[in-house]
Amino acid sequence: MKKELGSFVIGDSTKCTGCKACEMACFTVHNQGSNHVGKTVGTVTVPVVPRLFLTKFEYGCMPIQCKHCENAPCLNACTKGAISRIDNQVIVDPEKCIGCKDCMQACPFGAVTLLPYAKDGKVVAQIGSNETRVFASKCDLCKDVPGGPACVRACPHEALRLVDPEAEREEKNIKAAEALLLTKNWR
Amino acid sequence: MIVAIDQNICTGCRECAEVCPAFAIEGDQGKPQTINTDRCVMCGQCVQKCKSYVSILTHGKEAYEKVKKERNIPDSVTEPLFAAYPVCNLDKVKAALADPNKFTVVQCAPAVRVAIGEDFGDELGKLTPGKLAAALRRIGFDRIYDTNFPADVTIMEEGTELVKRVTEGGVLPMFTSCCPAWVKYMENNYPEIKDHLSSAKSPQQIGGAIFKTFGAEIDGKTGADIYSVSVMPCTCKVFECGRPEMKDSGYRDVDVAITTRDLAWLIKDLGIDWASLPEEEFDQPFGIYTGAGTIFGVTGGVMEAALRTGYELVTGQPIPNVDVTPVRGTEGFRKAIIKIGDLELKVGVVTGLKNVVPVIEAMKAGTLDLHFIEVMTCPEGCVSGGGQPKLLMDADRAEAYAARREATFVHDRELPLRKSHESPAVKKLYDEFLEEPNSHLAHHLLHTSYCIK
Repeated sequence: MKKELGSFVIGDSTKCTGCKACEMACFTVHNQGSNHVGKTVGTVTVPVVPRLFLTKFEYGCMPIQCKHCENAPCLNACTKGAISRIDNQVIVDPEKCIGCKDCMQACPFGAVTLLPYAKDGKVVAQIGSNETRVFASKCDLCKDVPGGPACVRACPHEALRLVDPEAEREEKNIKAAEALLLTKNWR
Repeated sequence: MIVAIDQNICTGCRECAEVCPAFAIEGDQGKPQTINTDRCVMCGQCVQKCKSYVSILTHGKEAYEKVKKERNIPDSVTEPLFAAYPVCNLDKVKAALADPNKFTVVQCAPAVRVAIGEDFGDELGKLTPGKLAAALRRIGFDRIYDTNFPADVTIMEEGTELVKRVTEGGVLPMFTSCCPAWVKYMENNYPEIKDHLSSAKSPQQIGGAIFKTFGAEIDGKTGADIYSVSVMPCTCKVFECGRPEMKDSGYRDVDVAITTRDLAWLIKDLGIDWASLPEEEFDQPFGIYTGAGTIFGVTGGVMEAALRTGYELVTGQPIPNVDVTPVRGTEGFRKAIIKIGDLELKVGVVTGLKNVVPVIEAMKAGTLDLHFIEVMTCPEGCVSGGGQPKLLMDADRAEAYAARREATFVHDRELPLRKSHESPAVKKLYDEFLEEPNSHLAHHLLHTSYCIK
């Protein structure tokens, strides 16, 4: 069956220790090409810009990232056409982003923030000023990364998982059907 | 302070506590951690593990520059900074290089040449001794020497000591003493077994002591003129070179130690383009080394190097197979029996400091039947040291260690000389200066005692 709903990564605060291996892996895989990041820390020449955000709260901690909403408020709010849906995922084009924060305002989960934009191993300056250019940094589900979401693979405690909502719903349907079969004799 | 955790940056994940072999990291889950310096052996594995970086989001835009300043890190550094970090002594190195009255001598450990390229984007484990020598020369050191040479000397001293202990009835098993974190761990936790440690200093200290005595003589200098720098894959080497007793020549063996990562920073800071560096040689005579010296960088390497020479010391014949594969491997504790003439030498190799505890307990219980045991604190020996290039993702760790290890063995295989006692630099040292291994002068300069607080 054709996939109709976008996947997303979700964290589990009962397993997360807050180590930020997910943020580091996220940054690494998104900067290995364009910013020449290698396998060691010494190859990094740009600020660490993650696309998911370790969040500490009263009961623990976990990373928060984009749900790839189907009626994506960020996409709807962006007046510059910088956010689009590609293969069911909500994707930002940093080249078009003007840093207006409308997407930040619109996102109910805080899954977007503005962070420095870097290209070719250097932070990009704004046109006509030395100020750092920013872009809406959010999860793109590692769309260009072989092996899928790096955060899921990097977590030492399997506190992150990739959700295919439609497949999970079907699985639950099957379980429900099996459970109902057991009740047949009692009806 | 050699290794510390920044209270403002630590998230309290305690992943570092999982890798700490000394149970030195203390704190509640989710709260910033502290290092108990009475327990810490300064191996730097916490530094390698920590992913909690100085973040624009969590700590603000100004935090990165502020932390860099606090830690004495060169302004030019752009890479991420983390909660767990080691001391940076580059300011001392720069000051010495700028001082016209100081004759600067540098040595670098075997594991540095199979890893430093990684911080310049080379593939994992690239072997770069020539570029390393070229970089050190461009930095401006007056003599580019090599820890691989004193590693060869260590074999002469430690090997001779072992043969004496075995044949004349000394304290056995004898443990290697090259790894300063292991030595510190033993002093902290098992001082009663200190006589089992080889009295030979580590290669870093042996090198330092030779450079300021015989080395000074060769260059028409005195020990007072020389400023001795070492580049190490190890954070604990910074501690070792500062140990108060390490000055038997009347001068500090080594004035300052920096890590592989520090050296990468210095090379970048001085605008030296790593990629275009030519292959150069280390300086004579203390830049000559054998394959035995270079395998000190991997677990089992000191043992293998000692066996290559020890065999010949005892039997007068060269060892039948120079690749002593029974002691290779990466398991935490492995044993082998090596036939040396009529003697069956029983040896053990420990890697990963936690793995030494059952070995020591067995020894104390009288159930351990070994003559000689190598102990290295880090997971696969010095190639995986706390001062080595740090991996951004743990998933690459196994590949990095395997590549650095393999490069070390490749280097060993390709070197013209593979046994320490065949090194012309070693021969020159004993012929012209020390007379013979374990001589009175060798004992004075190159050996030490332990548990000095």
